[in-house]
Formats: sequence, structure tokens, C-alpha cells
Amino acid sequence: MLGYYMDLALRSLRRHKMLAALMVLAIALGIGASITMLTVLHNLSGDPLPQRSGVLFHPQVDPRPKDLPGADAEPPDDLTWVDAQNLFHLPGSYPRVLMDGNWLPARAMRGDSLLAMQSDRATTADFFSMFDVPFVYGSGWTAQDDAQHARVVVLSSALNDKLFGGADSVGKQMVIATKTFRVIGVIGPWHPQPRFYDINNDDGPYGKAADMYLPFFTWIDLPQDYGYGSMRCWGNDANAGQHNPKAPQCTWAQLWVQLDSPAQVASYRSALRQYSLQQHELGRFERAPNVRLRGLLDWLDYKRVIPVMVRMQTWIAFGVFLICMLNTIGLMVAKFLRKSGEIGVRRALGASRRDVFAQCLVEAGVIGVAGGLCGLPLAWLGLWMVRQQPVSFAASAHLDLSMLGAALALSLVAALLAGVWPSLRAARVTPALQVKSL
Amino acid sequence: MNAMMQIRPILAALKSHRAAVTLLVLEIALTMAVLGNLVFIVHDGIRRAHTPTGVAENQIGFIQSIGVIGAKSASTTAGDLAALRGVPGVEAAAYGGPPLWYVERDAAFAHVDRLHRVARIYEFEGSRGLSKTLGLHVVEGRDFERSEVPVMGQMDEHTQFPVLVTRALAQRLFPDGSALGQLFYDGNATLRVIGVVDHLRGRITGHEDDDYSAVIEYGVGKGHMGGGFIIRSRPEQLDSVLKQAAIALSKADPQHVQNRVMTFEQMREHYFRSDLAVGRMLLAIVLILMIVTTLGVTGLANFWVQQRRRQIGMRRALGATRGDILRYFQLENFLIVSGGVLLGAICTYGLNLFLMHRFELPQLPPIYLLVGAAVLWGLSQLAVFGPALRASRVPPVVATRSA
Repeated sequence: MLGYYMDLALRSLRRHKMLAALMVLAIALGIGASITMLTVLHNLSGDPLPQRSGVLFHPQVDPRPKDLPGADAEPPDDLTWVDAQNLFHLPGSYPRVLMDGNWLPARAMRGDSLLAMQSDRATTADFFSMFDVPFVYGSGWTAQDDAQHARVVVLSSALNDKLFGGADSVGKQMVIATKTFRVIGVIGPWHPQPRFYDINNDDGPYGKAADMYLPFFTWIDLPQDYGYGSMRCWGNDANAGQHNPKAPQCTWAQLWVQLDSPAQVASYRSALRQYSLQQHELGRFERAPNVRLRGLLDWLDYKRVIPVMVRMQTWIAFGVFLICMLNTIGLMVAKFLRKSGEIGVRRALGASRRDVFAQCLVEAGVIGVAGGLCGLPLAWLGLWMVRQQPVSFAASAHLDLSMLGAALALSLVAALLAGVWPSLRAARVTPALQVKSL
Repeated sequence: MNAMMQIRPILAALKSHRAAVTLLVLEIALTMAVLGNLVFIVHDGIRRAHTPTGVAENQIGFIQSIGVIGAKSASTTAGDLAALRGVPGVEAAAYGGPPLWYVERDAAFAHVDRLHRVARIYEFEGSRGLSKTLGLHVVEGRDFERSEVPVMGQMDEHTQFPVLVTRALAQRLFPDGSALGQLFYDGNATLRVIGVVDHLRGRITGHEDDDYSAVIEYGVGKGHMGGGFIIRSRPEQLDSVLKQAAIALSKADPQHVQNRVMTFEQMREHYFRSDLAVGRMLLAIVLILMIVTTLGVTGLANFWVQQRRRQIGMRRALGATRGDILRYFQLENFLIVSGGVLLGAICTYGLNLFLMHRFELPQLPPIYLLVGAAVLWGLSQLAVFGPALRASRVPPVVATRSA
């Protein structure tokens, strides 16, 4: 029966080409606009590290004074210098990583290599294993290197191309902030989006990963005054940390820990509380323990990283979709009622209302799938437009297989929904009246 | 036949198409709501992109020259500035950052106890001549004098800094009288107002406090600093002079890393480029909506004409002219769209309220409703014209045939 209805639907669409084209176009435009925005939203709200996100946690403590005007209940995102060291050295065998990032002047050792500012991530040994960073050459450093403030550096492939022509540069030397460093590794392309581990930095949550990775405690000792990443200070002097990362009222360092089981999470959380309590008793923390231990995805959710404009455009796209649907409903009523005569004959020959309803709905479905198919190139065009936007997240806007499927499913469901009421009306056509007027 | 007499039969006829009319009214209303708000967002963006910062935008260029800490160097900032001023075509040069760059933001207090912050302000700090290089307009009081400016390395916590403030900030800090000669405080210094400038916006976000700025000048002494250098030149030769200036600066200070060299206009373009891109996206959506709605109106009108061929034939047989039929469909369309526009006005405000609440959008001025209504009326008249023309060509003889 379905095949027969399909055949009827195609015939009917062919007969009224204009009307059919209008309906398909309306659905296609609606699907195109909404799939474009949904894809952007889907990409931006994706899991930046699918294999690891379940075990990565972001601890926060609250070192702020008790009565701080305008302060909310949430502790600061990042850590002060003192808390960063203390929490990093908290006992326990969990993998952990302490970090921050800025820009430092760097060049290769060769005479003709010019100094240029390069983005860096100052971090600790576990960074590469915890975040699944792929290596092309060499490897990361060890906890011992961290402790000894070793002058070693890991480069991105892009910077390795620029400085060493893409060759295996392990063992080569370079100058960073006037000090000599030894290259010990080169990583492959690695750009988790959003850049979950540091989303308050200048370039926002969709900024690029850094080009140089150096040991955190080596970095903090470098002769430098180039800003300290996501520096935020409370109190009257908002710029207290500008030249002094060790200012007690300034937070800027990020800490991540890997906790593999709920028991570990619970024990780490209590250790965090214990630490806060101890600092409170020492008088360093004025507030009672106010700690958070969010998982990676919770953290992104809490920080609402998706840009306002994208959220707004998604709403708008749905408005457009709704309008396109209304339009389609109107056109379908027109279409189905136009063949009232035909329906009358079918009814008179014994088709039940349900049969007529089913027939009309199949026609609606065919229109929907056609609209979806035509909508895909439009969505592709829309995403191309998004990629032209000079914003950091734009590059990630690509149609993937799941979105293709979603587009087709959405158009089919939408067309069926839009078809229900017109089909009901068509099914109510009185056979006698129609047959008489034939 | 006057228009009022035509309206009654139209309304009567519409009653038998209640469902389709409702759909069309809803579609028009929603289209108007989305369209109005989209155009508003785009227009707001354009307006922001054209807000002046208060500096001589077409005359200034910027060189970011970063000093390498720990590198041995014989250069000084004074030497750097002298080198810049020596470039032919450079009318003024100063150390400091222009608007839309990383301008420092600090709290401002009216009282020295610093308990109640009055405002967050942009602090444009730089070497002597910063305000002249930026091309600020002093509207009250006076510009800096060479002798009064404190010198680097000779300041302490008691130093009073003479400052220029914007008119907006002066009114915020001292609502009851002139700001001239008054003291106020930032996070760690005491500031004395010597003059008021008309505008100086640190960033352009559309908020009132964009224009809360203060200019602080100091002598660079024997210091050697990295950061921003601003030059001013005649607009037509700015590009080439800026290039020469960058070369001169790197010669005078070979240890510095030049990260960015750009004219203020390039900086402004960079600052607003994502806004403009978003605007283009939204305009694409506006276009899609207009197409869809026009197609929808055409489709339904076609259907109605088809359905009423016999009635049209009868009217023609009874003496109605082609013009009468044409006008009938146009008027019918006008009435339906008017219903949609009325409902649409409410929806537009509703959507605007929602966007204001959720995305901090400003309130939509009523003129958008009028323009939106006019656009929809026009579009749907255009859409209905074809079908109406076809209706008017239905020959009277149709009335005598059975359908």
C-alpha cells in the first residue's frame, strides 16, 4: 500500500509542479537555516576530549576575603600562586597538572632566526598523558624535570615547521625569554574545542592550543613580564597581578586532576575541603570551606562557553523553521483540497477516511524528504558562510554524518507533523458533494 | 463603489476559509516579529561599528613593540620616541595604547577610603604628548603642561597625577558641579582633573561606561619600556609613514619584538569584524524569511483563485470589470496582512522582551514596527499581484459552465 501511495504522491506532485516546488523550497530553506545553526551549536557544545572527559576534574577553592562587595557564592575559576603550589603538592597518587599560558619571545638558536612572540603553555609533566596529546617526535618531560626546573620545551608541529623546517628537532636548542631551552618533543595537531583547560584566557574558550609547552616552575622563574594569562584580582587594585603573579589577591593558575573512580572523587573532594579548612584555621582563608570539584563537562556547562551570538542565532533559526512550517501547512491545505474531486472519487469507491488520511500523509512525507534533500546543500552553503566568520570557533563548523541524518529526520518529521492537519481536512471531504460536481 | 462597501463581502468570504486565513495571519505575524528583531540587531551592530572613539582615527597608527625582559640594551623609551618623531611625516608620537586595544581598566573612587566604587574606567596611560598624539578635543579646562607631569622613577604613593577625563566620566564622578581641579582615586593613585575631553571610548560595547575614560601622562625619564607606540600623521600618507616609523623604531631599539603594526582604521576593522560577519549571517536569514513568506502568500492566493473561478466568472458576468476583480484580491490580501501585522506588532515586542531579558539586547524603537508593517504589506501585495491578475483574466463565460 505504501508503495502505491508513494506512486500517487509523486504523480500528484508532478501534476502541480509549482505548488510542490514552493513547499519543497519552504522546507528546504527552513531545514537549511536550522541545520546550519544546529551544527554550529553541536560543534561548540561537543565533548572536547571524549575518551577522557569522564575522569578529568577541575578543583576550585575560595581564598577571597569575607566581605567582598559584589562577590557571588561561586569560588574563583583559577588558583592563586600559593594555592596552586599547595594543591599541586597535595598528597595522593592522582595524576594532576598545573598550568597557565601567555606569550613569550622565542627564536631558534641559528643566527638568522628572528625573535617573535609565541603562545606558550606552562604546565607539568602529566599534561601530555592526561590530555592524550599525540607526539610526532620525542616525548614530554618527567616529574623530575618539573622539580629541577629543567629548561626543556615541547613544540607544536606548526612552530616546529616554522623554526626547524618540520625536521625532527629533538635535542636542538632554542631561546625562550633570553634563556636557552632544549627541544624534547614535537606534538601532532591537537586543538580540543572548547579549550576546556583554560577558557578565561584572552582569546576566549575557543582559542587555539599553544605553540610551546614548558615546565610550569621553570616558566614562573623566567625573566618575564608579558602578562600572566587569565589574571584576575579582587579588591580595589584590579591590576595588582599585572606584573606580579605571586600577588596574594590574584588568581590565574589552572589545576586539573584525573580521578578514575567515584571513590577517588569523593576522597579528593574531602581532601580539598580539608585543605580549605586548614587554610581557614591558619587565617589565610577568611571564608569557611567553599570548594568545587567539577567534571570536565560540568565545568563547560557551568562556564556557559557557547557564545551568546550562537545561542541567539539558534533561537532565530528555529523561528525561521517555524515560519517555514506554517507556510508549508498552508500550502498543503491548498494542495490537498485542490484534489477534493479525486479524493471524493476514492471515497465513493470505498476508501475509508483513514485510507485518504494515510495517502495524504505519505505525500507530506515525500515532500518532507525532498525538502530535506534540497536543504542539505543549503545547510552546506550556510556553514560555508559561518566558516567565513573571522571568529575563533568558525573553523569547526562542518557537516558530519550525524547532522546529515538529523537534517533528513528533522525534515521528514516536520513535514509529517505539518501534514497531519491538512490530511485530516482532506479526509473529511464529503464524497457525495464532490462526485456530484464532477 | 467605495472601499468600505467592498470590505464586507471580502470578510464574509474569508470566514469560509477561516483555517487558511489563520495560518496566513500567523505566518505574517511571526515573520514580522523575527524580521523586525533581526533587522534591529543588525542595525544596532552597524551603529556600534560607526561609533567614534574620540581620537583622530584616520590620522593615527600603532606599533606594538615588546621589550624582551632580561636582554641587555642601551636603548631608552625617550630614544625610541625621538627616533619616531624624526621620521618625516610623523607629526606626533607617544608611548601608550590607543582605544580598542588592551586599555587598562581600573576602579574609580570619589573618596580616598576607596570603599565605594563610582565607576570602572579606562585608563589611557602614556608618555608626554599622548593626548595630542591621539588628537583629543579638550572642551573644558586645558591639556597637560610639560612641567606638571610626573616623571617615571620619581613618583611615590603621594604623587598626584594630573588627568584629562571624558565629559561622561566627569558627570558621573562630579554630578553637582565642574570637575576641574577636583580629586578622585583609582586603585592605587590620586588623580587631579585638569581638563575635560568630549569623548574617549576604551571599547565599544554599546554600554554607557565605554566613554568613562581618563588620560594620564608621565615623563618616561631614563626608563625603557615595551608596549604600544602611537604615531600621528596626515591621513593620506599615514600608511607609508607608519611603515617608515616601524623601521625606524626597530633600528632604534633592535632588542624589541615588533608584534603588530597597524593603522587605527585597520584596528577598528579587526575589532568589529566578527560583528559584521554575524550581521551578514542575519541578513541572509532576513532574505530567506522574505522569500519564504512571499512564496507562501503567492501559493495560497493561487489556490484561492483556482477555487473561486466560478464565482469570479459569475461576478464578471454580472458586470464586474477586470479591475474590480484585481482590486478584490488585492484588498483581501491587504486585510489578511493587516491582521497579521497587528498580531505581529505584539509578537515583535514579545520577542524583543525575550531577547532583552536573555541576551541583553536594547529595546526596540517603535519605528521598526512601522517599517516592518510597510515591508510586509508591500511584499505580500507583490506576491498576490500575479494570482490576482490571473483571476482578473477569468472570462465571464466560466460562470455558465459547471466547474
